Amino acid sequence: MAKMTRTWWGEIFLDVLAMSMDEGRLKRGRAYSGPNRLLEFSINKGVARATLRGNINPYFGVYKEPRYKVTVKLRQFTSADWRRISKAISGNAACLSQLLMNEMPTAIEDAFSDSGKTLLPRSKDELISTCSCPDWATPCKHVAGVYYKIASLLDRDPMLLFQLRGLEFSVFREKLADSPLGQALIDEQTGEDGSIDLPTNRYTEPRRTPAAGIDPRSYWMGEHPLPSVDVSSGSPPTPAVLVKKGGDHPPFWHVHQSFIGVMEEVCDRVVQKNRPSL
Amino acid sequence: MEHQIQIHHGTWIPQPSGEFDNSGRFVFWIETQQTGKKDPRPELHPSHLSDTSRLEGFLASDLKFSAAAVAAAGPEPARFCATMPSTSGMPLPSLEMARLSGEYLPDEFQWNDWEIKGIAVRNPLAFLRELQVLSSFGGGEFQVGYDLKFWIHFAQQLRAMVRQHQFLPVMKCLQPKRGRSQPDYVTGWAPADSLYERCLRDFAIAMPAVCTLVKNARNGSTSGNAPVSVLDRTDLLRQFSEQQVDMLVSSTPFTKSFLKPLRNSWFGGALTPTPASRIAAGIDPPSPAEQDVAHWHAWQKKIIGRTRGSGFSLGLRLSQDDGTDDKRWRIGFFVSCNEDPSLLVDLSDWWGMPEHRKSEWQNRFGPQFERNLLFSLGQAARICPLLWQGMETAEPTGVDIDLEKAYEFLKDDALVLESAGYRIVLPSWWTPKGRRRARLRVRASGTGGQSQESGSDSGLLTLSTLVQYNYELSIDGEAVTEDEWRALLEAKSPLVKYRGEWMEIDHRQMSETLELWRSREDSDGIEFSQMIKDMAEADPNTEEFVFDDVLGGVLKGLQNLENLEPMDNPAGLHGDLRVYQKKGVAWLARQERLGLHPCLADDMGLGKTVQLIALLLHERQHEEPAQKSGIQPTLLVAPTSVLSNWKKETGKFAPRLKCYIHHGSNRIRDPAEFAETISGYDLIVTSFNLVRSDSETLQAANWRRIVVDEAQNIKNPKSAQAKAIFALPATFRIAMTGTPIENRLMDMWSLFRFLNPGYLGTAAQFRRAYELPIQRENDMARTRQLQQLVQPFILRRLKSDKSIIDDLPDKVEQKVYCNLTKEQASLYQAVVEDVEDRIEDSDGMARRGLILSTLMKLKQVCNHPAQFIQDGSAFDERRSHKLARLNEMIEEALLESDSLLVFTQFTEIGERLETQFRERHSCPVHYLHGGTSRRRREKMIESFQDPDSPAGIFVLSLRAGGVGITLTQANHVFHFDRWWNPAVENQATDRAYRIGQQKTVFAHKMVTLGTLEERIDEMIESKKALAENIVGTDENWLTEMDNDSFRELIALNRQSIMEA
Repeated sequence: MAKMTRTWWGEIFLDVLAMSMDEGRLKRGRAYSGPNRLLEFSINKGVARATLRGNINPYFGVYKEPRYKVTVKLRQFTSADWRRISKAISGNAACLSQLLMNEMPTAIEDAFSDSGKTLLPRSKDELISTCSCPDWATPCKHVAGVYYKIASLLDRDPMLLFQLRGLEFSVFREKLADSPLGQALIDEQTGEDGSIDLPTNRYTEPRRTPAAGIDPRSYWMGEHPLPSVDVSSGSPPTPAVLVKKGGDHPPFWHVHQSFIGVMEEVCDRVVQKNRPSL
Repeated sequence: MEHQIQIHHGTWIPQPSGEFDNSGRFVFWIETQQTGKKDPRPELHPSHLSDTSRLEGFLASDLKFSAAAVAAAGPEPARFCATMPSTSGMPLPSLEMARLSGEYLPDEFQWNDWEIKGIAVRNPLAFLRELQVLSSFGGGEFQVGYDLKFWIHFAQQLRAMVRQHQFLPVMKCLQPKRGRSQPDYVTGWAPADSLYERCLRDFAIAMPAVCTLVKNARNGSTSGNAPVSVLDRTDLLRQFSEQQVDMLVSSTPFTKSFLKPLRNSWFGGALTPTPASRIAAGIDPPSPAEQDVAHWHAWQKKIIGRTRGSGFSLGLRLSQDDGTDDKRWRIGFFVSCNEDPSLLVDLSDWWGMPEHRKSEWQNRFGPQFERNLLFSLGQAARICPLLWQGMETAEPTGVDIDLEKAYEFLKDDALVLESAGYRIVLPSWWTPKGRRRARLRVRASGTGGQSQESGSDSGLLTLSTLVQYNYELSIDGEAVTEDEWRALLEAKSPLVKYRGEWMEIDHRQMSETLELWRSREDSDGIEFSQMIKDMAEADPNTEEFVFDDVLGGVLKGLQNLENLEPMDNPAGLHGDLRVYQKKGVAWLARQERLGLHPCLADDMGLGKTVQLIALLLHERQHEEPAQKSGIQPTLLVAPTSVLSNWKKETGKFAPRLKCYIHHGSNRIRDPAEFAETISGYDLIVTSFNLVRSDSETLQAANWRRIVVDEAQNIKNPKSAQAKAIFALPATFRIAMTGTPIENRLMDMWSLFRFLNPGYLGTAAQFRRAYELPIQRENDMARTRQLQQLVQPFILRRLKSDKSIIDDLPDKVEQKVYCNLTKEQASLYQAVVEDVEDRIEDSDGMARRGLILSTLMKLKQVCNHPAQFIQDGSAFDERRSHKLARLNEMIEEALLESDSLLVFTQFTEIGERLETQFRERHSCPVHYLHGGTSRRRREKMIESFQDPDSPAGIFVLSLRAGGVGITLTQANHVFHFDRWWNPAVENQATDRAYRIGQQKTVFAHKMVTLGTLEERIDEMIESKKALAENIVGTDENWLTEMDNDSFRELIALNRQSIMEA
C-alpha cells in the first residue's frame, strides 16, 4: 500500500495515531481516507468534521449502510502561547522562508520550545476525537481515516497544523509584522492569487499583431541585426538546475523517489540520447 | 548546364488555430533565379524549386547530407503559402537573390499570396545544426537567405539551453468535448528560465517579416494590399521552442526500470506520451488530476515567475579573515542590482540602514524586496542546506562554517548555486586565474645541445640546436622537493595553507603527477618544433614549461612580432621595403634558422612577393663567404598566371638575382641537363601543373628551398600536384597565401603536411583530434590548442591592422603582370602582320582609322580571344591568363570581405565579366555602362554602398563610371585594360579613393607582357610627370606617330608567351 505521507512532518503526525490504536484498526482506517468512504470533510475553527460511509455489520446489529459523524481536533494552544510562538517565528528567517515555500520549517519546534509545547503532536493525549459508530475503541478506524486525510493535506499545507492547534491568524499577523521578513510571509499568505489559466493549445498559439510598414528589405532582413548566440561555455551543466530551486518534494509529486533525482536523470538522458540534434 | 543561383530559405509554419494539437512545421525551400516565365498555375511561386522529384533527394544529392543526417532531419514534401511583396504578377526576389542575380528591388510593389513547395523536416534542431556546419565550413556555394540564417541561429541558442537543462514539465488544458464536463489535462515539456525569456526578446526583434506572413494554405484570392496583421514574433519563437523541446524530451527513450516507479504518476505520462511508448514501458500512467495542476502551476510560478519581476540577485561570498583562526570561515549574504551588478549591499549593512536609504535601494531592487529576498534565501538553502543555519534569525547576514564545510561549498555548492542564478564570490586563490597549481614542470633549455653561435643575431639558435628537457615538481610556479610534495599529499584536509596561502590538494592529480615525474627521464636532442608541439598539447592544469634565457627570448619573439628587429634593406634591393616588410623578412629568416618552416599569409596587396625576393638577397648577403658561390637555387611553384609576374618583379626589385622560368613546350626535361642549366640561377619558377608532370626532372636538382605561392592550391593533400610537391626534397620550405586558412581545418592540415610533415599528425588523427570537435562540437579548448600549435608558423597581417595602416599610404598602386596564351599570341601576331602590310599604303583619315582600330583590336586580344573574335565562343579563363589572374585576385579579396571595382574600356567585355563573376564568385555583381539608366544606376550604387550588403564586385566601363560617383565600399580597384592617360585611370581609381574611404585603397593595373600594354605602361611610367600635358584623354595623339614607332609600339615579344 502506498505511503500516506511523504514529508517528515506528516510522518511524525501519523506516529501519534499509531501510538493510540492497534495495528488492525490502523490498517483498516486507511481505507476510510479515500473519497469512496469520506463523504464530507471540513476543517473549521481548528476542528476537523467528517461524515463517513460505514459498513453493514449484522454482528453489531447494523443492517442498513450507516453514516458516521467524526470530529478530530488536537490540543489547542492559548493566545499567550501563540503570541510567544509567533514572535519566535518572525525572528527566524529560515522558518519564514520555509513557510513561504509551503514547507514545515525544519527547526519549527525550536520556536515552540519556550512555551514548553510542540507543534506536532507527540503523545496520544493530544489527539481528541469523537465518532458516532458503535465501536467501543477510541479512536476507531473512522477516526483513523479522517486523521490520514488530515496528514495528506498537511503535506501540501503545513500551516494547517497551526490552525488545528487553534492559531488565531490576527495574532500571528500582528506579531509577524514586527520583522520585515515576517511581513513578507503575511503578504504572501493573504495575497495569493489562486486563479489558474492554463493554455488550451499544446503549444503557444501565435497571436496576430498589427503589421506596420513592411518593405522588401525588412521583409527579408528584419529590422535588427541577429543577436549573438550565448552558448555559455562548454562546461557541463548543473544537473536539472531549474527544479533544484523548487525542492525535492513538490506538492504534485506522489512518487516515493526524489523528484530532483528523477529530473536529473531525465535531463541527462535527454542530452545524451539526442546528440545529433543538440 | 546554365549556372543557376539558388538561395536556401526556411521558416516555421504554424498550424491554423482551433485545434488543441497545433504542431507547426519547419519548411525548407529553395528559391531559384527568375526565368520571366509564368507558371501555368498562377498561384504557384514561379521561381523556386517546385519539382517534387528534385526536392525528394535534395538533402542528399544537393546538400550532400550523409544518410544519417537525412534520417535525423526526417524530410518530407510540404507546401505552404507566403504573402510576399510582388510586382506585375510576380513575387519579388529575396534580397539575397536580388543581390546575386543583379536585380534591384522596385520602390512600388503589391502584396500577393504565393504557394511554395519545399521540404518539411521532422527534426528541425538536427536539420538546422547540419545547415549551420554547412554554412560555416562548407564553402561559398551554399547560399543562405536571411530568414533561414535567423532560424539557424535561434536553433543554436535553443540547443545550448537544452544542453544546460533549461526545461521543465508543463501542463495544458484540453477543453471538454461535448457531453463531458471535466477538462482533460495534458502534460509536456517546455524550455524555461530567465535566459530563455531574454533570448525570445532579443531574437523576436531580429526576426525578418517573411517569417510572420506565412500560413498553411491559401485561402481565397489576394487583394494586393499590404497585410494588416502579422503573426506575433515572440509567439512564433515560443511555439517553435516548445514543440522542439517537447518532442525532444518525450521521444527520449527511458528504461523500463526507470519508468516503473512513475507508472501511477502523470509525470510518467509526460515521459511516455504515445500509446506505443506506454506499451513498450509496460505502464499506463494517469492524466494529472485537477489538484496536481494547481500545485504544478504554483510550483512553476515560484521557480520561473519570481525571477522575472525582481530587480536584484542574491549573492553569497565565501571568505576567511586573514590572521584569525584557519578553521573559521563565513558565507556572507549580499544583494546586487541586476541592471548594474556592481551596485551591491551586504545584508549585514542592510538591516540597520536608515529607511530613506533603504528605499533608495529598493527602487533599484524592484517591488516586494523582502518577499523576494526570503524566496531567494530559501531556494538557495534548498540547494545548499548549510545556509539554513544562517537564517535562524530575523535579520540574516550570513553563516559561519568550518574548513570542511567551506571546502564542500567551494567544490560543489558554489557551482550549482551559480548556475541557478546566484552571484557567487569566492576567494581569489580558488578562481582559475588565482588558483595555485601543483604541476609537473618541464625545464627546457636550448644551450644543452650545441654550443651557441656567437655573432650574427644574439640569442638566436642555429638550426641544428636542440632542446633539452629537465623535469621538476612545482607549486604555484616554484620548484618543490619530493619531500615537500609528499608532505602535502599526506595532509588530511583537502585545503591547506602552503607558504602562507591557501591551496586545494587534489590527491589523485598530485599522486599522478608524482608518478609521472618519477617515470620521466631528463632528455635532450628534442627539436624546437617538437617543443612547440609539447607546449601546445600540455594540460596547463598539470604541466608547466619554463625556459632558459635563450629559449625564453626566442619564444617571446615567436609570440610577439613587436620584439622582432626589422632588418635593413638587403644589399642589391632596388627600392625600399616598408617597415612591416622588413619585419616579415626578418621573421622568415628566423623561422628558417629555428627549423619552423613558415607560412607567409599577409593580405593581398601587402607585398609577399617582395618579401620573398628580399629574403633571397638577404641570405646571399649573410651566408658564410665559403658558401656564397654555392647557394643552391630556390624552386618556386605558382599558378601559371603569375609565373611571369615573378620574373618581372624579380627583375625590378633585384636585378642581381637570376630568375629562370621552367615552362613551355621547349622546356628542358632531361634531369641532368636541367640540373646543369639551373645551377647558375637563384630562383626557378614553375607551375603547379609541371611539378606533377616533370617531377623526375625537378627532383634531380638540389633545392635550397621550395616555395609554394598561392598555397591554397595544395589544400587537397591527395591531389597529384600536392603529392608531387610533398615529395620534393629541400632544406627549407615556405608557403605563401593571401587567403585566410584558419577556417578550413583540413586545408590547414595539408599546408602543414607540406611545411612540417608529421607536426599535426596524420590526416585521420587530425580529423579526430581537431576538425570534428571544432566544427561539430564547437570545442573551444581544442580551438585554442590548435591555435597555439599553428600560430608560431603563420605570419598573417591584415591591411586593417593598426601597425600596417600606419605603415601604408592611403593608396597603393601595383602592377599585375601576365602573359599571352598561345592562342592570344597567334591572334595578336596576325593583327600585327596584317597592319604592317596595310599601313605603308594608307594615309590621312584612312591611316588614322587603321591605327586606332589596330590598337583596339590588340587590346581586345590581350583581354581575351573571345572578345576579339566576337564569335560567342567560351569566355574561358584558360584562354587568357589575365582573366585567370583577375579571378584569382578577386577570390582572395572576397574571402577577406573586401569589395572591389573592375574598370574596362570595352562594353562587350564588361558584360561578359559581369556574367562570369556572378557565376564564379557567388556575390553581388553590378555592371554600370553608358547605356545604364539613371534610376538603375542609382539603385546599383545604393545597393553596393549599403554596409549591410555582403562584399561585391562593381564592373564599370571607364567612360560611364570614371567620374562623378562614389563607391567607397570598395578598397580594391582593378584596371583590366590600360588607358594611355594615367589621369583617366587615377580618376577611375578615385571612385573608391575619396572622402568616406576608411581603408587603404589598392589599385591593381593589369599589364600583358610583351604586348602594347607593356609598352603603354612603360610610356606612362617614364613620362608620368609630363603625361597629362602631352597626351590627351583619347588616343588621337597616337596617330601622329611615324610608321616605325608604331610598329615598335605594337610588336609582339614572343618570349612572353605562356602556355596554359
